[in-house]
Amino acid sequence: MAPVLDLKALNTGFFTAAGEIPALRDVSFSLGRGEILGLVGESGSGKSLTGFSITRLIAAPGRVTGGEVLLHGQDLLRLGPEAMRRVRGAKVAMIFQDPMMTLNPVLRIGTQIRDALLAHERLGRAEVRARAIAALDQVGIPSPEARLKAYPHQLSGGMRQRVAIAIALLHAPDLVIADEPTTALDVTIQGQILALVQRLCRERGTALIWISHDLSVVAGLADRIAVMYAGRIVEIGAVDDLLDDPAHPYTQGLIASVPTPGRRQARLAQIPGRMPALTDLPPGCAFAPRCPRAQAACEAMPAMTPAGEGRMARCLYPLTGGAA
Amino acid sequence: MTGEVILRAQGLTRHFGGEGDLVARGLMRLGLAKPRPVVRAVEEVSFDLHRGEVLGVVGESGCGKSTLGRMVAGLLPPSAGRLDLPGGVATGRGAGAAGQGGGAGTANGTGPTDADTQDRGAALPMQMIFQDPYASLNPRKRVRDLIGEAPRVHRIAKPGEIGTYVQDMMERCGIDPGYRDRFAHEFSGGQRQRIGIARALAVTPEILVCDEAVSALDVSIQAQILNLFMDLRDEFGLTYLFISHDLAVIEHIADRVLVMYLGRVVESGPTEALFSDPAHPYTRSLIEGVPRLDRRRKVFAPIEGDIPSPLDPPSGCAFHPRCPLAVARCVSEPPALRDMGQGRLAACHLAGAPSQTDATDTEGETAWPATPTG
Repeated sequence: MAPVLDLKALNTGFFTAAGEIPALRDVSFSLGRGEILGLVGESGSGKSLTGFSITRLIAAPGRVTGGEVLLHGQDLLRLGPEAMRRVRGAKVAMIFQDPMMTLNPVLRIGTQIRDALLAHERLGRAEVRARAIAALDQVGIPSPEARLKAYPHQLSGGMRQRVAIAIALLHAPDLVIADEPTTALDVTIQGQILALVQRLCRERGTALIWISHDLSVVAGLADRIAVMYAGRIVEIGAVDDLLDDPAHPYTQGLIASVPTPGRRQARLAQIPGRMPALTDLPPGCAFAPRCPRAQAACEAMPAMTPAGEGRMARCLYPLTGGAA
Repeated sequence: MTGEVILRAQGLTRHFGGEGDLVARGLMRLGLAKPRPVVRAVEEVSFDLHRGEVLGVVGESGCGKSTLGRMVAGLLPPSAGRLDLPGGVATGRGAGAAGQGGGAGTANGTGPTDADTQDRGAALPMQMIFQDPYASLNPRKRVRDLIGEAPRVHRIAKPGEIGTYVQDMMERCGIDPGYRDRFAHEFSGGQRQRIGIARALAVTPEILVCDEAVSALDVSIQAQILNLFMDLRDEFGLTYLFISHDLAVIEHIADRVLVMYLGRVVESGPTEALFSDPAHPYTRSLIEGVPRLDRRRKVFAPIEGDIPSPLDPPSGCAFHPRCPLAVARCVSEPPALRDMGQGRLAACHLAGAPSQTDATDTEGETAWPATPTG
């Protein structure tokens, strides 16, 4: 089956007086219908930027400098502004971390849903109202008719995020990019939002990119995981394979630093040092200075190589899958 | 591993709002303003903190965990209740200043001292580590002043030795002493949190109150800081009140746990027992709801509903509108915190004693093995 999204060697840079800062390099993955990909990495690894690059929402001095973003075979990078506007919100939708920033504080919920609907469809007043109520209802907002009149500040954080999700799903997009949508929420509310997104994507076959710094959240939600480090994907694979048997030393380090039940008060494995600044990347593997397995050969950039079935890792000395 | 009681909180309570200032009271009297609502942020929280232990406080937003931490750290006077330091450690600025010659170390022989609720000074033996290392360090001060100011003022180190004292603190917290002339903005989040920890340690505290101290950090950095906390505990015999919304972190670091909901403690007990066999339905749903690495592609079955507003808490048990097991009694009667044996307490009518259950459901019985009640 043809993938919904096929990302090929995406490069994004920021152009400053000091030259180009390589924010994304060679980011490639594809996503099938109904598939959930967890995009994981630490701050500054480029995970959010990948989402913005797909929807072409990068502001100057940033620019996508290469690669292809194929949505059902059509390269979004080649679309004109008007054609791209018709894609955003209708075929590709985004959900952001802070629903207070996504929603306009001075407009009623109903108005914002109406605007989003009319941006892509011609509808009568009654239709707009019916669609808006249905949209709020399906994300589990109680008494949706009354909520249409509410302003965002009158809703709790969880309810606001539900509204944001309802708006994202208005036009039944093929792809939803969710950028840390539960990070600001409490544990029980996070559980509710995860359950909701999981159900809606499964029911509608929507492909989902779930961007998160939290491996545990992604473990419960995603089918596949891509791990990013310093602007590149360093490993991608099915959830179980990747978590049980990581190939890249960085993935292993990330997994080991998550507190796990049963190892109470044991020292957590810690990755020494921190991620290098994008302005000061080593020439080869960006993880090499922190890597326990690094050797002289790591001073050249390793390519993504297969590391088991459906697995790719950017490492010359992976922990599993062939080459030792 | 835990020693004598170092801090005892009895019925700690903090309300916000209510009275209002002079103008508000005047307007109220004239009938021009409604009485201001009272937020019951913390209600009747009692616990003992033993020397050398890590007491975790876990709960969602609005549960009062930060307010509790600020009261313990002396940053906020309680509306009611007592905070005692039975070990005779110095409390408050008054005691610290009185014992200037001996510095603000421990045991200046005052015996059991009430924490002076009106004392505006933070108690030196209790230091706080804050969540946001970007907001908690003065951007105009160099690291050596950030760390060195308090020990200089309190004469913990001799004026001539402040430099080496600061360097020593920096090294212990894993910051290169060569960076002592830098400003806070020149460091990463993890490094800044280390500076915050070094600053707290510089006044030789006994108790560290950590309020979401690792929540803003990336996982790999979070692991480094958690390890640092454990190392410092071993090195200095520190006692922690560790506040976090993150159950995985609490389970990892804490010896005992207080679970809070809407200002009250709903359950407390030793970490392992509490996590393996939660007595309160709220604790259980928290634990079941927390994402874990070994829970793959699970179907999330969350508890319904929002956290109620502390301005208008539900009647009876505050959790009853969201509780899958709630019975009529939960709506009318607030449950008391009951002794469940083995150092555990739970505030649930149904917990641990199936005989007391009105509408007994079999699930309740199998899920909660009867624990001897005290």
